[in-house]
Amino acid sequence: MSVGIEALNVHAGLARIPVADLFAGRGLDPARLDNLMMETKSVALPFEDPVTHAVNAARPVVEALAPADRERIELLVTSTESGVDYSKSVASYVHEHLGLSRRCRVMEVKQACYAATGALQLACGYLASAASPGARALVIATDVSLVDEGAGYTEPAMGTGAAAVLLGERPAVLDVDLGAFGVHSYETLDSARPGPRFDIADADRSLFAYLDCLTHSYRDYTDRVGGVDFASTFAGLVMHTPFAGIVRAAHRKLARDHGVADVAADFTSRVLPGLVYPRQVGNLCSGSVYLALASMVDHLGSTDPVRVGLYAYGSGCASEFYSGVVGVDAAATVGRMQIGDQLAARCRLTFDEYRQVLAANADCLVPVADRTVDPYRWGEFVDRVGLPRTVLACTGVDGHHRRYDWIKVGGVR
Amino acid sequence: MTDRSHVRQVVHEVITEILPSVRAEDIDGRQHLKDLGADSVDRVEIILGVRERLGVTEPLASFSDLPDLDHLVAFLTEVTA
Repeated sequence: MSVGIEALNVHAGLARIPVADLFAGRGLDPARLDNLMMETKSVALPFEDPVTHAVNAARPVVEALAPADRERIELLVTSTESGVDYSKSVASYVHEHLGLSRRCRVMEVKQACYAATGALQLACGYLASAASPGARALVIATDVSLVDEGAGYTEPAMGTGAAAVLLGERPAVLDVDLGAFGVHSYETLDSARPGPRFDIADADRSLFAYLDCLTHSYRDYTDRVGGVDFASTFAGLVMHTPFAGIVRAAHRKLARDHGVADVAADFTSRVLPGLVYPRQVGNLCSGSVYLALASMVDHLGSTDPVRVGLYAYGSGCASEFYSGVVGVDAAATVGRMQIGDQLAARCRLTFDEYRQVLAANADCLVPVADRTVDPYRWGEFVDRVGLPRTVLACTGVDGHHRRYDWIKVGGVR
Repeated sequence: MTDRSHVRQVVHEVITEILPSVRAEDIDGRQHLKDLGADSVDRVEIILGVRERLGVTEPLASFSDLPDLDHLVAFLTEVTA
């Protein structure tokens, strides 16, 4: 039976700053732009949080379903390292604001940038078991960035936003190869979020773990799956993208290990299509690999079904290499979400505006009993969003209960 | 040439290939790769390069805690012995 991704959308915040402008504003060395391979960084406006990101990514996916199909979303999982409460899940708010059926399992998972892939694999296994024939699962990876100038060269690489992945038995976007996976996990402290206002990161430990895990999870994949040839089995390679430059280095390592003759040409044809969106967004945490998948589907240009390999890595650490087939309807299905247009429509911030927004965003995850957030305080930026649409906005916290409302963006208030 | 001096020569070769602005004679063993201007991708490429040339199969994670180039050379000398 087929199980996999039926639909996929990304919401990567309502604002952006060109990475070159951020480098200039922070006094970072522009010589490092080449290895970073980033163009713009997504920025959340101060009424955006993990809940609004998730809802704004998933809403077009849910609304495209017929009402009867919508009722069959029987599992909602949010994957996040930006939790808003130790007990209450982001998913509980998302369930409400998406208007999903009450006959639905609702939960949140965490394993840094790996968690969405773990949730996807468990959900696919559940759907394939036919315990509830015809059921669907919605996995939403959602995160906000907390980095500031103290993070040095990590600041330009950190994005914000969510990727919504609808799973079911009609996998037009990615027919997951059930049983074709490789995993590698062990304990390390390479990066973490010990509190609601800051991250810690050891760049070398994290990148070395990312690369070790790629080697081992791919080896585990080839041990489980017969007849795999790195150069010819996969038409595209989609990887967790902390920043595009490390994906280029990771591909170079894997390609050399497997005797690819022209590494640069292979990178251009099989990896670069998946980096178009990540280079415009930054690291989307556990949604990053699905942002890369959307980019691959939108830019690979294949009219035939093709197999792609996907690599997810999450600090801490856990990793997985798996594969699936991008179907003939994938480009049309993902294309309807207009992800490229959404990214182009983000309000472009100056460096001074970015600093203003960053200061207001610093408290996004701090637990407080009461807080008021006025989306219209940011009306100047809201009006500069290029694609008129209605989005969910956080309006505050009332007795520890987060409050939300729908607002219009794109000069149509 | 001792094992250690051979390893040091390979390390210097790889560093100057990845960082063309660095001259081998200016490299001090008490420096970290960061001190030579290597960004995180450069550091990955340097470690991958020395592993490959010396035939080292130790995981990359083994290189995470080495405080300077002298410790990198000592570690590589030990695992290639």
